[in-house]
Amino acid sequence: MGEPQTNPDLRDELRSTAVEPLLPIEKKLIGWSLTIGLVLLVGLALFNHFVPVTF
Amino acid sequence: MSDTTLNHVHPQTTLAAPSITEDWLAVILGLLIFVLALAALANVDLIGWVVTTSVWNNLGQSLKATSKGYASLGGAGALLATYVALTVVLSAAAAALKRDVIRFALAFTAVFWIAYASWVIGNFANFAAVTPAEQQKFGINWSLRLTGEGGLIFAIVAGLIIANFFPRFAEAIKEAVRPELYIKIAIVILGGFIAVTVAGRLGLASSLILRGIAAIVEAYLIYWAVVYFVARKWFGFSREWAAPLASGISICGVAASIATGGAIRARPAVSVLVSSLVVIFAVFEVLILPFLAQAFLSHEPLVAGAWIGLAVKTDGAAVAAGGITESLILAKNAAEGVRYQPGWILGTATTVKVFIDIFIGIWAFVLGYIWTNHINATPDRDKAKAWEIWQRFPKFIIGFVVTFAVGLYLALGTPADIAKNVPAAIGEANTFRVIFFILTFFSIGVLSNFKTLWQDGFGKLAAVYFVSLFGFVIWVGLLISWIFFSGITPPLAG
Repeated sequence: MGEPQTNPDLRDELRSTAVEPLLPIEKKLIGWSLTIGLVLLVGLALFNHFVPVTF
Repeated sequence: MSDTTLNHVHPQTTLAAPSITEDWLAVILGLLIFVLALAALANVDLIGWVVTTSVWNNLGQSLKATSKGYASLGGAGALLATYVALTVVLSAAAAALKRDVIRFALAFTAVFWIAYASWVIGNFANFAAVTPAEQQKFGINWSLRLTGEGGLIFAIVAGLIIANFFPRFAEAIKEAVRPELYIKIAIVILGGFIAVTVAGRLGLASSLILRGIAAIVEAYLIYWAVVYFVARKWFGFSREWAAPLASGISICGVAASIATGGAIRARPAVSVLVSSLVVIFAVFEVLILPFLAQAFLSHEPLVAGAWIGLAVKTDGAAVAAGGITESLILAKNAAEGVRYQPGWILGTATTVKVFIDIFIGIWAFVLGYIWTNHINATPDRDKAKAWEIWQRFPKFIIGFVVTFAVGLYLALGTPADIAKNVPAAIGEANTFRVIFFILTFFSIGVLSNFKTLWQDGFGKLAAVYFVSLFGFVIWVGLLISWIFFSGITPPLAG
């Protein structure tokens, strides 16, 4: 992949990008993802516990 | 995997817009090999000439045709037949993708012979023999015990040497350095192999599939959110960089970062750069994680399989690492007198990875909707559209499902005299699957120029990847795999 070596603009941009603060919608995305994910994992873990593997 | 993956990775050699995508080509080629293999059920052996390699200490005895019916070809003849067949078929595929066919065929010649030579070297008895009985058989008193699948490690190392010490040669053969195409074909074929493996244990297989759902939740809802937060908050990346990076690290490397980049309307170069980083880190994972799995998880084989599927990014690296892990763990257990049926660890790693892949399009749409309606919302902005979900759906998964369903039907739904021949028939297709694994590993190595990591500016990208992968993704993956797969062992062989 030759792209990284041939794009000095991107390198400069990565070095000196101004910080963009997290927007409320981004915080919501992160928060809801983690909340739903953890709830689902707990639900699946309970399922895993009460419905044993069939051999 | 996105249809667009390789068109982004090799933009400079595109001659015209292809009429078919790489994903659909992988489905066609994988199904072609599968169907040809099934002709053996009608006593017509069409692909038994494909070459297979055994562990050796006499090079002349290392190669042979897969089927005894083609034994007269000898090892060299089978190897040559395999090379010619693959060159013709893949050159036709290159033509369909509107690539330069002559250039592809020449490059593929180099790729095939170097990759397969690496595989053969990896099968040398002092590298591959595992049990004391095997060592005795070959008259040797030491071995690295890498198993035959250790040949994949040799293939990736050969690719790494070319990428980092012979960059001009790497550039010359890049037309045929296509890990995504090779692994997609392999995964289509793998569906039939997994079907035959699980046919006698459908209860266990369905239990494993249900537990695979946890991988989807983990990758999309836990990993992504944490990596995005780390990239934005701790490393100060812009949204345009952080979203493809989070998808690359969390979901499925190359495909997910490109799908996400497209969905949030990021510049293509951002996704390409993230993808190159994903491939490089996948190399480290492939070289390290299977051996850690063998050392610490050999008594929890399916935890190991799920962990590899969750932790190793890019389909090629993950599925092939699942194969190496399976060989290493089966070998260690065999040395302790426990012989597990092969296919279950690889099947678990593949199932986990395929489950994760399925939702790339939906996740990209969700991100695209949020970005185009809430973050970069302007009246003239191109909004995310629902049809993009189908556009980004990894089509090769359709091939995987078809070969799995057909394989399962043939093994369970046909008369006994047909069903008993199904494993051997699909075994011939599986030999091709191994060859595509070898090509994948070599190609991943060739794409991994470590100089990329040391360039100014990219160190910060690599730092996010390193912190997320080794500080979080691997360990959470291990925890979840342990919760859902511990205590489950593959059936015993025989």
